[in-house]
Amino acid sequence: MFDLRQNDLTRDEFQELALKHLDPLYSAALRLTKNDRDAEDLVQDTFLRAYRFFEKFERGTNMKAWLFKILTNTFINRYRRSVKERNIVEGTERDAVHERFVSREAAEYASNPEQYFFDRLLSDDVLKAVDSLPVDFRMVVILADLQEFSYKEIAEILDVPVGTVMSRLYRGRRLLQKALASYAVVSGVLQDPGEGASIDMETYRRRRGKSA
Amino acid sequence: MSIETTLIAAMDCSELERSVDAYLDDEFDHSERAEAEAHLARCGRCRVMVDAQGRLRAALRAKLREAMNAPAQAGQAPPALRARVEQSLTHQRKPLWRRALAPVPLATVAACAAGALVVLATHTGNEALLEDAIRNHHRALPLEVDAAAMPGWFAGKLDFHPSPPHFAGSGVRVEGARLSNLREWPAAYIRYRLPRGQAGLFIVDDPSRRFDAPGRVVKVGQGVVRVTSARGYNVAVWRHDEIVYSLVSDLDESQLFQLVQTAQAEAGGR
Repeated sequence: MFDLRQNDLTRDEFQELALKHLDPLYSAALRLTKNDRDAEDLVQDTFLRAYRFFEKFERGTNMKAWLFKILTNTFINRYRRSVKERNIVEGTERDAVHERFVSREAAEYASNPEQYFFDRLLSDDVLKAVDSLPVDFRMVVILADLQEFSYKEIAEILDVPVGTVMSRLYRGRRLLQKALASYAVVSGVLQDPGEGASIDMETYRRRRGKSA
Repeated sequence: MSIETTLIAAMDCSELERSVDAYLDDEFDHSERAEAEAHLARCGRCRVMVDAQGRLRAALRAKLREAMNAPAQAGQAPPALRARVEQSLTHQRKPLWRRALAPVPLATVAACAAGALVVLATHTGNEALLEDAIRNHHRALPLEVDAAAMPGWFAGKLDFHPSPPHFAGSGVRVEGARLSNLREWPAAYIRYRLPRGQAGLFIVDDPSRRFDAPGRVVKVGQGVVRVTSARGYNVAVWRHDEIVYSLVSDLDESQLFQLVQTAQAEAGGR
């Protein structure tokens, strides 16, 4: 008469799977909210929501990516960005798409041995530079370069197409380099990193006449 | 822009420059990687560019890790936060159906030992049905008809004939009835006065068998009942063919089971 299903998920299991990601989640929350009180609240909310939706988590899939998705959704819902900020971000992204070529200058900048100015930067300056990025770019850079998620995972976490991940990442990294350069002890010897646009893989594949 | 005619199509400089991130992030598929490497093999300028970008990437990542990963302060949750999260999880009310998983009350264990009932499994279903049942019972809206006028009163008001079970010989007295609903199911609601406490019974017609209440699946007498506890009420849901009965009561579980068993025995004898 009844469809019988056994369900044995426990709080212990959740704690074991989820709590080991506390540090990376807190680190990301701190960069999103920019203050420790809000970051702690955000992390706590994230774990409570994750626990509530734990039934929906497919075991064997990526728990860390799932938690980051809940973290970013919670952040967006709770600390909903003003329309103004969103417009700015979208505008910047649009500009990036319209720029057709990466400049030679960027390549030359990259090959400049002064790239090692990074080594002389203080962690505080790195945090300030990361915080200076528009939030969409900040998040993509953190997910890719700190947490080392793949483009596909980031696309799922942020619920945007892979092409958007790529253009935000390209843009975000260049903005970050630029911001870091402005904190560099050796400032003045660096050239502008340039602001070209990335090519997304789909465009590239289309042009090569292949189906992706 | 020259066109490559070798077996592996090669990227040109601008394509490689613009996709260098994907290349360095190891996001190229096998053939794309081969195309990029075919180009790199013969273009010194791009090799220098890719090499430099790679070093820059590595330096940037190392710097980010140093600033934002444990043991850096900005990469480590304060110990108090860990404690706070653990504590809030402990206090977190489980969803309704998960509370049904809570340790089986002692009375139930005793009843099990006596062979009266067996806990078969726990079923996840539509919690909203139970929430409606408890809320509608708890609100105690005025009854539309008293016990004496109840026979025949539902005729024409519902698309089915709600035949109430007989709780014979258990000191149960009908107080009256009204129309109600559980989600989209129109329901007959009958309120009973019990020797101690009261109970509300919802009767719905569910030919498509979509009425899916969560709860522990328990064998009571001849029948199978789903039982849940929430907000101080115990709810028992059982089905006779197309009719589903949901009994909400402040009785404890063993008394509720006795009551249900009376109704089941009655139905079985029909």
